[in-house]
Amino acid sequence: MTPKRISARTRNEWVTAYGFLLPNLIGLFVFVFVPIVYALYVSLHDWNALNPKAFSGLDNYRKLLHDDQWWSSIRITLTFSVIYVPLLFVLSLLSALLMNALRGRTKGVARTLFLLPFAVTSVTSAVIGMFMLDPRNGVINRLLGLIGIGPQPFLGSTSQAMLSIIGVILWINIGYNMIIFLSAIKEIPRDYYEAAGMDGATGWKSFRFITLPLLRETSTFILIVTTIGSFQALDQILVMTKGGPANAMEVSVLYIFKQGFELLNMGYAASLAFVLFLIIFGLSLVQLKLFSNRN
Amino acid sequence: MGKTWKGIGIAAVSLALMLQMACGNSNDGGNGGKNESASAQASGSENGGKKVKLKFWDFHTEKEEEFFKGLVDEYNKSQDDVEIEYSTYNQTDYTSTKLPTGFASGDGPDIYMISPGDFMKFAKSGLMADLTPYFPEGAKEDFLPASLDAVTVDGKIMALPYELELLGLYYNEVMLKNAGVDVPKTWDELYEAAKKLTTNKVAGLVIPPDKGAYLNFVWYPFLWQQGGNVLNADGTQSTFHSPETAKALDYWGRFFKEGLSPTKLQNGPTEIDNLGSKGAAMQIAGTWAITRAEEVFGDVPINVAPLPIPEGGQAATDAGGWKFAVNGKSAHAEEAAKFVMWAFAEDPARALKWCTEVKFAYSPRKSVVEQGKAIYNQGMRKVFTEQIYDSAIPEPRYPSEVLDVVGDAIQNVMFGKYDGAKAAEEADAKINEALKTANK
Repeated sequence: MTPKRISARTRNEWVTAYGFLLPNLIGLFVFVFVPIVYALYVSLHDWNALNPKAFSGLDNYRKLLHDDQWWSSIRITLTFSVIYVPLLFVLSLLSALLMNALRGRTKGVARTLFLLPFAVTSVTSAVIGMFMLDPRNGVINRLLGLIGIGPQPFLGSTSQAMLSIIGVILWINIGYNMIIFLSAIKEIPRDYYEAAGMDGATGWKSFRFITLPLLRETSTFILIVTTIGSFQALDQILVMTKGGPANAMEVSVLYIFKQGFELLNMGYAASLAFVLFLIIFGLSLVQLKLFSNRN
Repeated sequence: MGKTWKGIGIAAVSLALMLQMACGNSNDGGNGGKNESASAQASGSENGGKKVKLKFWDFHTEKEEEFFKGLVDEYNKSQDDVEIEYSTYNQTDYTSTKLPTGFASGDGPDIYMISPGDFMKFAKSGLMADLTPYFPEGAKEDFLPASLDAVTVDGKIMALPYELELLGLYYNEVMLKNAGVDVPKTWDELYEAAKKLTTNKVAGLVIPPDKGAYLNFVWYPFLWQQGGNVLNADGTQSTFHSPETAKALDYWGRFFKEGLSPTKLQNGPTEIDNLGSKGAAMQIAGTWAITRAEEVFGDVPINVAPLPIPEGGQAATDAGGWKFAVNGKSAHAEEAAKFVMWAFAEDPARALKWCTEVKFAYSPRKSVVEQGKAIYNQGMRKVFTEQIYDSAIPEPRYPSEVLDVVGDAIQNVMFGKYDGAKAAEEADAKINEALKTANK
């Protein structure tokens, strides 16, 4: 590329643009990049937060290779992600389509109802979830009882805890993702559907060949953001089961938290966090590649 | 290219979010050094003398916070050399983030509270000053020997115990009577009682279901009653792989597996509200529950009995409680130690007020229990005083790595992954491993 002559006007625009970006860039640098580098530095040390750091090279990384609990936490995280992400994706898309089909005043009401849970903080949602899922007094067991299903332990069971927690997190997040889908659907010109309609395409076909392809950018965004989010899920799990029962919900972030703050192995926790970052980073790149290739 | 960068951007943000916790300290600590020198610096007072400023970090709330605030005010007024600044934090943050980040940045408190679970880590990091020389004359002898043993490392008393919280079996008298059940005295009776008392609406026995220090705390007596223990006497080797452990694990696990104890509680496992709401017939809880049982649930017929024991076993209960510690790295450890002693090792009135008015607990000091005799014999307190107190064993100060392994063993049995023997065997090696890591 040969450098082009830059007009005074373009330069002015640049200055303005960077001027506006500067506060954010400084924030990113101070609160994001510096801590990342610092965490990498900490991960090369044996440090319990109370004593001075002792350099230990790659010891922490060697240790995590043989740490069964760490790998089990990765397994749990992946399972969680594999169930949660597709469910969230499908359910938000579905509700966006339904919402789009609604007309009149009901639409606004329905949209608000769907979005409302998103305004609830994650910890509050977890507490509400616990009340609803309570084995003895919870409303869910009450409802199950009406259709003849006996009381379930939900969060108090190693096999049901994950689905219970996923249910609560879905409830919080569907509304938000639905709104993003909905706004993308609204961007699609009506002409496309009309033209397709004239050619005889209806319902499923126009969804499959018009809506879905034109939602690719939005879908990519939602998939990446929810995948990352699913790897970082912590607050609801921490509140609802603290990683239990019997470590059944000890996801990676929770295990890092435990190593860092309960066992005060800060150096080790930093190395785990770094590995988790690499995993998320890699996954995000793969997803990005997959979706942009189809273009 | 633009997309790749966008991806990197997203990933970077994700990392940042993830690492927030790892890096929180660095941010917190950024300006730490300055504050310390400022607070360590003596500031002039009205009378021209120099006042030493000390930081006292606490986690208590409500009535208990008021008590400590009052203590600090009283002490500040009583002399001109030292001024103590009191601040209190949320209990969960207190041990997991507040204290470690404070100490890591050199901006930690001069005076703080420590629980058995964190004891060794702090003691070994030099964050606890040796308090032995500061005991007023004759005061050491006033403390129960076991209570001081629990805070002594290499012959040095590293913290001051000021409360003993004992466990007992609380129960709803009417529910037991209606079910035709006597107050259980043995393990078998407890199991049978729980079975008879469990209904759709009522849990037979509430014991903590979630992993954590409290789960271990309540479980230990079941091991001790048979003469078992987690570690050998000098704490260097696991003794977990034993028939006693297996039996205690299996016994405990049965309550959960058979649905006699809920695997999930709506009220916390420490809260007597489980009985108060009439959602449970029996509950193992501590002395702390008495005040609330009387004041809030006066209309519920709650009573208490010693923990049931196995055939041929001996009575044992756990005595928990926080301890006062002085930062060994503080420039004014001596002044801080003097305050701590003034608070709980001198005039018994202050210790008595804490243990009988502010909350209900036993004082580790004989003179205090003696002075409070009238209170210690009121209602349910009498059961603790006459039938439980003598069997108290102070909560062990195992490293948190060991707590973690023991907690896993209990949970693995509760949720049916292993039977007691297998869990004990599996945990045994891990405990030795954990001891090695912790003693590094």
